[in-house]
Amino acid sequence: MKNIIELKNLHKVYATGTHALKGIDLEIKEGEFCILLGLSGSGKSTLLRCLNRLIEPTSGDIIIDGIDVVAAKGKQLRYIRRKIAMIFQQFNLIRNLSSLTNVLTGKLGYSSLVHSLTFPQHKKDTKIALENLKRVGLKEFAEKRTRNLSGGQQQRVAIARALMQNPKVILADEPVASLDPATADSVMRYLGELNKKDNMTVICSLHFLSLARKYGTRVIALKDGKIVFDGTPKEIDEKRFKEIYGQDAEEVEIR
Amino acid sequence: MKKENKLKLNIQAILTDLLFWIYIFGCASFLMNHWFEKVIPNNFVVIFGIVVGLITFILGISVGRKVFLPTIKTDRKWHKTFWGWSVFFILLITFVVGWNLVEVDLYKLFAKFRNAGGIMGGIFNPNTDIFVLCLSALAETIYLALLATVFAIPLAFILSFFAARNLMPRTFLGNTVYIIVRTIATVFRSIEAIVWAIIFSVWVGIGPFAGMLALMIHSIASLTKLYSEQIENIDPGPVEAIKATGASTLQTWIFAVVPQIISPYLAFTIYRWDINVRMATIVGFVGGGGIGLLLLQQQQLLRWQNVGMIIWLIAIVVWIMDMVSAKVREKLQEM
Ligand SMILES: Nc1ncnc2c1ncn2[C@@H]1O[C@H](COP(=O)(O)OP(=O)(O)O)[C@@H](O)[C@H]1O
Ligand SMILES: [Mg+2]
Repeated sequence: MKNIIELKNLHKVYATGTHALKGIDLEIKEGEFCILLGLSGSGKSTLLRCLNRLIEPTSGDIIIDGIDVVAAKGKQLRYIRRKIAMIFQQFNLIRNLSSLTNVLTGKLGYSSLVHSLTFPQHKKDTKIALENLKRVGLKEFAEKRTRNLSGGQQQRVAIARALMQNPKVILADEPVASLDPATADSVMRYLGELNKKDNMTVICSLHFLSLARKYGTRVIALKDGKIVFDGTPKEIDEKRFKEIYGQDAEEVEIR
Repeated sequence: MKKENKLKLNIQAILTDLLFWIYIFGCASFLMNHWFEKVIPNNFVVIFGIVVGLITFILGISVGRKVFLPTIKTDRKWHKTFWGWSVFFILLITFVVGWNLVEVDLYKLFAKFRNAGGIMGGIFNPNTDIFVLCLSALAETIYLALLATVFAIPLAFILSFFAARNLMPRTFLGNTVYIIVRTIATVFRSIEAIVWAIIFSVWVGIGPFAGMLALMIHSIASLTKLYSEQIENIDPGPVEAIKATGASTLQTWIFAVVPQIISPYLAFTIYRWDINVRMATIVGFVGGGGIGLLLLQQQQLLRWQNVGMIIWLIAIVVWIMDMVSAKVREKLQEM
């Protein structure tokens, strides 16, 4: 399998002086399900947001699907972004709009301004959006405003929005951290399905080892902006776990 | 870093003390002139102020030190400290000067009530014959307020995006646009509508059009500010999410920002119309036409019964507007 993501010596220093990423070197192969572990503040969100340039990296190289992400500007950056979908802890849906419209926004990277303002007139887009909603089991919620949905349902709408982008890579920043355990597992199951069936590469930050073992094909752990572990989920034993999360940490099970 | 900070605080403290005492001596000089007709030269006032300010600062008992360099232990009651008495004194002298400047005269207030008899009588016995004439002037006022609001909405809507810190990138261009729009809006807003009305009544002539322009300019400026503050308070999450889909900047604004601000915008706008109707009467006084102009004319002719009629009508319209706008805003909240 070819590398879909290559990072070379990636650094991020915030305007406040915080050195959040300290030289990340990483290669991720197409089809991997990568779990990012690490304490709060270890740099997981920063790393994920550098990949689609929601945050500007300070130095280093990012190559995604053969394209230099750091050098991209304007239109080119839009083309890259639409191939990389993102899922957030807080779902980040537009709460006043319907699920269907929210899913349609996944198409924005492909649409002109006029096209995007007349989404309801484009039957083909609507059809695909409805299919995506159906895929996450929310077809009957299409017309409902997303603020009336439960957390799990909102995250599934967010997954349908991501699907709308027809992405090669999915970045998920603690997608289940605001959900109860059962819902968390069901959301992870959808991500797992996209990874296996649609061959989308997933990079997902998590706090639960049990979920990492269940869905991840690879685990990368960050500590103070550096990679401190890179291997398979099975390789993480208690000793490794304590290295990542500190001596006092206890593993919490979630099934 | 620390040293620099200390120097800055010292400078702030000294300046406070100097201004504090120059102000006190300035007030004293005014009172001397007012009561005893003794003129104290201005440079005396300044020199005295500086000397006393410096002395109190050096002695470490001054207000400036208390505010900026609070090394003095604070558990002493204010009336046992020098700064406490200085603050008490400055408040007292300010009040005394104010009383004299405003020419407060309680005798006039109570003994000359009869002078208001004409207008009071007019209010309780309004001239209903001019009702129709008033209605047309009132219509002018209401419609000029409406047009001013309607014209202001789209302009303020667009400007507000450029006056929102979170939407303007921190590049040279972004900062420049932000600062220019913000500054213009602030300056234009701080000029009262009544001043704009004077300007426009000279420009386009006395009448409702001048009033409309005055209110429009003022509305654009204040709506831009209110709207942009609303944008600065939106949830940044959706903006991030829409950006991540590959949307253009304009698409991001339309899909992630606009849906979050629509209902507060409507509430502000209705509130603004409400304000504009009130202001339209005032603006009429200085050449903005409408019911305000009619009121001015009747007042100058001393037709108190007509004045009474107009006052009643204004009060009723304002009262209705108030109720309607409160109701609509309430409904918007529920949306
Ligand atoms: N916008 C920002 N400005 C300044 N510092 C930030 C910003 N975002 C994150 N940081 C800092 O960068 C470090 C990494 O944060 P983050 O990437 O959010 O970690 P994680 O997602 O693993 O919790 C932390 O020390 C955090 O305080
Ligand atoms: Mg984070």
